[in-house]
Amino acid sequence: MSGVPRRGAAAAIAGLVAAMLVTVGSPALAAKKPRSKPTPTADFDLKLPVLGTRLEEFPAGSGKATADLACLQCHSASMASQQRLTDKQWAKVLDKMIGWGAKVPAEEKDRLLAYLVANFGPDNDKFQPTVTRPVGK
Amino acid sequence: MTFSLTRRRFLAIAGGAALLPSAAFGAAVETVAKERRRMLQVNGYAIDAETPLDALTTFITPNDLFFVRHHWNPMYPDMKRWRLAVEGEVEKPLELTLADLKRLPRAEATCVLQCSGNGRGLFRPTVPGVQWRYGALGNARWTGARVRDVLAKAGLRAGARHLHAFGSDKPPEKVPPFHRSLEIEKVLQDGIIAWEMNGAPLPALHGAPARLIVPGWTGNHWMKWLTRISPQPEEQKGFYMETAYRYPEKPGEPGQPVPPEGMRPVTELFVKSNVTDYSAQVRAGAEAVLKGFALSGAPDISRVELSDDDGATWKEAALDPRHEPYSWRLWSYRWTAGAPGKATLRVRATDSRGGVQPPEGVWNPSGYLYNGWQAVDIQVTA
Repeated sequence: MSGVPRRGAAAAIAGLVAAMLVTVGSPALAAKKPRSKPTPTADFDLKLPVLGTRLEEFPAGSGKATADLACLQCHSASMASQQRLTDKQWAKVLDKMIGWGAKVPAEEKDRLLAYLVANFGPDNDKFQPTVTRPVGK
Repeated sequence: MTFSLTRRRFLAIAGGAALLPSAAFGAAVETVAKERRRMLQVNGYAIDAETPLDALTTFITPNDLFFVRHHWNPMYPDMKRWRLAVEGEVEKPLELTLADLKRLPRAEATCVLQCSGNGRGLFRPTVPGVQWRYGALGNARWTGARVRDVLAKAGLRAGARHLHAFGSDKPPEKVPPFHRSLEIEKVLQDGIIAWEMNGAPLPALHGAPARLIVPGWTGNHWMKWLTRISPQPEEQKGFYMETAYRYPEKPGEPGQPVPPEGMRPVTELFVKSNVTDYSAQVRAGAEAVLKGFALSGAPDISRVELSDDDGATWKEAALDPRHEPYSWRLWSYRWTAGAPGKATLRVRATDSRGGVQPPEGVWNPSGYLYNGWQAVDIQVTA
């Protein structure tokens, strides 16, 4: 299963970000064209993903499809999955995000709220940051 | 007392040559150990990534290990056509190229950049926002032009009270733009428009080609991808001034909302210290060395202390002589292990204005400026 973030607008944004980062990570960014191969300036651990390229997916469950549609448009799933909020706090965040343009069909709002509270409530201890490679000087 | 002697000796060695590293704090060129060179990414896009504490061991935080905080996927300025617009309460509005800025007197400052939300993930009850723990901060050398020189060139008018700052960043959908302002006195005194970070051109992730530097104040004032500054009689309006980045004037009950009229903009950093280096295990009677950094919204740190008895008694750490106003201070402490078992060491800092780091961060609705004592556990073996 490839997962929703690989398709649609969210995937396009994510792809763009990843592409951007590769550019950002290279010394060429300083607007100078290197004449020869630049000397590496950092000891990268090649096993680590580049900053911004590994994207977490929302956990399975009723409400995931709406979360994918509404949240991934502007930020990755981890922005939500690192939260540990009560139902009241999540309701407030959800209203703020809808006001800011998150696409939540009216009939799906309650289901999405229940999904966020069930997965990312006050006791949520599942979130781990992604250990990533530094992106260059 | 050995500790104060050690400190006096450091001060003697420093003797005004604040940039000379002492032997006790490592070689002249400090590097972060290879196995520690990594970032902890908390958000894939927009990118948010903090530095692990054990990689914040050097006086200067390397650019590639410096925390990254983006509100949304940034829109970088076109580097070839970039201009800084200077407008508002000025006699002569200007459009300055990077070359124009570079003709102004060169200004440099080594100081801490810290996200106002650093430590948000440590608050209980929990609050929404990026759940930073310890590493949304770093200490870097910033080079550019003083804001006061730029404003003098344009002819700053007397009625200006707040500097409005704008970047090229544009939010998605109906998200309000990240427009900020800060008090003109602060920016005239300390503000820099920087195009270099640690001697390299300012990286895109950190606001290329130029960003605002506001030593001693939280990162939300340090506008990245700067395109326009505008002195004005009034504060900037909008979500990121009127709702976000505000702190209660008088802290209330944890978990309880604070009425908007009781909130003030978050500005100065709070005094704090963290441990970056220690041995998790040591033999009874042996010495263990702990190291870390301390910082504040006051220009300097006067004391760092450690306690192995829950804060009942404290002993002073040695401070690294390297310092500039609003930079951090590295510190080092030798602890002699007692009887076998688990020992917990806590660290606290005192700044040059006498501000003392409190045991717990003061809870506030947006989770800003956590500065409670950090505790580390050391296992003492027989």
